[in-house]
Amino acid sequence: MEPAVNKPRWDTLPKALRHRASRTGGEIALRVKDRGIWKAYSWKDYCENVRNLCLGMVSLGLGRGDKVSIIGENKPEWFWAELAAQCAGGVAVGIYTDCSAEEVKYFLENSDSSFVVAHDQEQVDKLLSIKDQLPLLEKIIHWDIKGLWGYDRPDLLSMREVMEIGRRFGEENPRLFDEMIDRGSADDIALLCYSSGTTGLPKGAMLSQGWLVEGVWEWSNVDGWCKQGIEYLSFIPPAWAAEQALGIAGGLVAGLTVNFPEEPETVQENLREIGPSVLFYGARLWENVNSTVQARIIDSTPLRRFLYHRSLAIGLRIAEKKIAHRPLGLWWRCLGWMAHQAVFRALRDRLGLSRAEVVYSAGGALSPDIVRFFLALGIEIKLFYGSTEMGVVSIPRPGEIHPETSGRPMPWAEVAISEEGEILVKSRFMYSGYYKNPKATAEKLKDGFYTSGDFGHITEDGQLIVIDRMEDLRMLAGGRKFSPQYTEVRLRFSPYIKDAIVVGGEQRDIVTALINIDLENVGRFAEAHHIPYTTFADLSQRPAVIDLITQEIRKINRTLPEHARIRLFVNLHKEFDADEAELTRTRKLRRTFVEERYRYLIDALYGNRQQIEVEAPITYRDGRKGVIKTSIRVNKVE
Amino acid sequence: MGAENVLEIGGLRLSFGGLKVLSGVDLHVGAREILAVIGPNGAGKSSLLNCINGFYRPQEGTIHFKGEPIHRRKPHFVAKLGISRTFQNIELYTGLTVLENLMAARHIHMKRGAFAGALFFGPALNEEIRHREVVEDIIDFLEMESVRHKIVGMLPYGVRKRVELGRALAMDPTLLLLDEPMAGMNVEEKEDMARFILDVSELRGIPMIIVEHDMEVILDVASRCVVLDFGVKIAEGRLDDLVRDPNVVRAYLGEE
Repeated sequence: MEPAVNKPRWDTLPKALRHRASRTGGEIALRVKDRGIWKAYSWKDYCENVRNLCLGMVSLGLGRGDKVSIIGENKPEWFWAELAAQCAGGVAVGIYTDCSAEEVKYFLENSDSSFVVAHDQEQVDKLLSIKDQLPLLEKIIHWDIKGLWGYDRPDLLSMREVMEIGRRFGEENPRLFDEMIDRGSADDIALLCYSSGTTGLPKGAMLSQGWLVEGVWEWSNVDGWCKQGIEYLSFIPPAWAAEQALGIAGGLVAGLTVNFPEEPETVQENLREIGPSVLFYGARLWENVNSTVQARIIDSTPLRRFLYHRSLAIGLRIAEKKIAHRPLGLWWRCLGWMAHQAVFRALRDRLGLSRAEVVYSAGGALSPDIVRFFLALGIEIKLFYGSTEMGVVSIPRPGEIHPETSGRPMPWAEVAISEEGEILVKSRFMYSGYYKNPKATAEKLKDGFYTSGDFGHITEDGQLIVIDRMEDLRMLAGGRKFSPQYTEVRLRFSPYIKDAIVVGGEQRDIVTALINIDLENVGRFAEAHHIPYTTFADLSQRPAVIDLITQEIRKINRTLPEHARIRLFVNLHKEFDADEAELTRTRKLRRTFVEERYRYLIDALYGNRQQIEVEAPITYRDGRKGVIKTSIRVNKVE
Repeated sequence: MGAENVLEIGGLRLSFGGLKVLSGVDLHVGAREILAVIGPNGAGKSSLLNCINGFYRPQEGTIHFKGEPIHRRKPHFVAKLGISRTFQNIELYTGLTVLENLMAARHIHMKRGAFAGALFFGPALNEEIRHREVVEDIIDFLEMESVRHKIVGMLPYGVRKRVELGRALAMDPTLLLLDEPMAGMNVEEKEDMARFILDVSELRGIPMIIVEHDMEVILDVASRCVVLDFGVKIAEGRLDDLVRDPNVVRAYLGEE
């Protein structure tokens, strides 16, 4: 059993902010890269900005329990807006920046938001286009004036203006801010987090101050990042509960120094500059990092390739020993040191992982090969299991590495497995139900346990293995079950495959796959082999590319049970896209939707066809529609 | 013509030997105005810009910039007056980074000599910091943060066009000449560029002359249009009116 952890000194985030500002006010809380320079905000600055923004919104009519929606990239202003709302007893609602106006409208309507804090012109334009349909929405506050100079409306204010209003309001009411913070308690709802919704409309999960403060406090203590001055780079969307826990609460409760990238496009560069110690990547991002490395190595000089492959072989052997908990002899230690000096040190630096200590992967399954790969580099990826609703359920503890498992359940969580194999969770840190939807909340509970909808099991030594979503398990005609996702993550381990959907079913006797080639890496391959191509669709159907993918699938098939092997596949003519609802905003595959959408292709796969003519409607970023016509080859894997 | 005009051109004639490039062109640009110059290939659009910034010397006619005659001036003098331009074929230092290209454009505003610059201490350092701030504003404005330290020669065409606009802006211009800023761009890049041009106009109020073939772009950004054909101004006005002008239709589509 882990030792018991003391309780934190505060029960809400605003109290934590006030405490830090008064005790360690001069230390750096937030850092943001702006105009090419890292600018620091101390705890005092953080608190001051929150105070002014909060009082400004209060004087404009924000009351206790009111909802403040926030839509923007990761920036200090996002955090200020959330804390300002919470200081006033309000609730923050995070919205993803790439949502369409229609989606934004749903979130604002469903959450009854009266204020919106928005990043820039792009978001403001969306909001203004739907403002008339939202009677509850009173004010729109933006923090990046660019392009908005000419907008003159009484309901649109800049954050600076609101802060100035708040500063003056604060002079008239000097004690109001503290009084409002004092009224807060652990049971207050702090946040609405909309589930990414692989099925149906997103539901707003209510998270309490207690969830954020105590939950994160205990988590950070178990994993050893509860100390001031640990660097963290905030780039996963704050609308996601994970960034709420790590970025917002992690900063305030555990004392992480939160860094913000200059732009979404500069994350890689900024990662390298900061070298964060705590990292939380979605599984897809780890896959991307891995395939980038593979592709770069293929492109590299023969000497470098040689060094890389020798070092990686050493790293992988050491990783195997670590996983098996066998001691490393002096010989392997020396080799490991050499591999580190020769390749891994520089590689880790390039990837911004030079100082990575506590590293998580979440939001979908991750191939064990990827876990091993990073372990070879000396980075221990922990398969995080949890969700907005359940909180943190299970993480491998320091020193307990298992590439396939999510470790033992956390001290505050209890995990059971239902007869059907569904993971059931009871935890001290659960959500407080779905907003305005007690029916959906009740449906999720079974005998006091939260039904996760995930399929998994617990090993003999108490490790939790999460396999797939319950609804995503598929049966084959012979009655044998298989997990498409299990195969898909292994497919995505290939640098040449960006996405894949694996298909089977009760009326079908074989497993097939629709593949999305990785344009960048396959493009490089084509260049290196002098294969001319025009578009994505064209490249995907080149015989050499099909051979390449066939080879990759053959490799993966060897690791799969006989019945689950892929027998036929097609290379899709376009990439899966969140704008077309094929992926969720966190880049999870929306399986049912995709299967329905490509039904004609899947039927053709099972109908013994050699070639399929497709005519696919596509939606451009700006909402225009077009059609691609092309023909797709059906390919066999022996 | 009113006194508020930034640029006034009267009876401009330019010929290379027997080839008449411009035959008596008159035009003016008002304060905060975006004037589009359109016309078929070889109509003399780029030559007109070259006359304004002093690359070509017209045989006849006058060009007044804020009341000052500039048609006999050298390009570097015209640049110092605040007329800055971009080129159809992109003229940047391809071996330097984006940042260095923009800093180089600040050169005309740098006052310290080579000696102080080499020592890079005190006033020269302060000056560098001040100029870097201006340049960083432009990088932010044109959303070029992710390419700040990239070598220009390695950048895609659309981005280079954007860097060139940035370079022109770095000179703190009072008149911008844009020679086909959207040529060779895809739809998305064009939309971005159009937005930047409108933002520049809105925020800084810089008057512009823009030479462009893409009518949709012109419809989006320009407040007024001048049509040239074989060196002669054949029409002037709002673009939606011009497309119905029989002279313009003839110039573009030929005689029936």
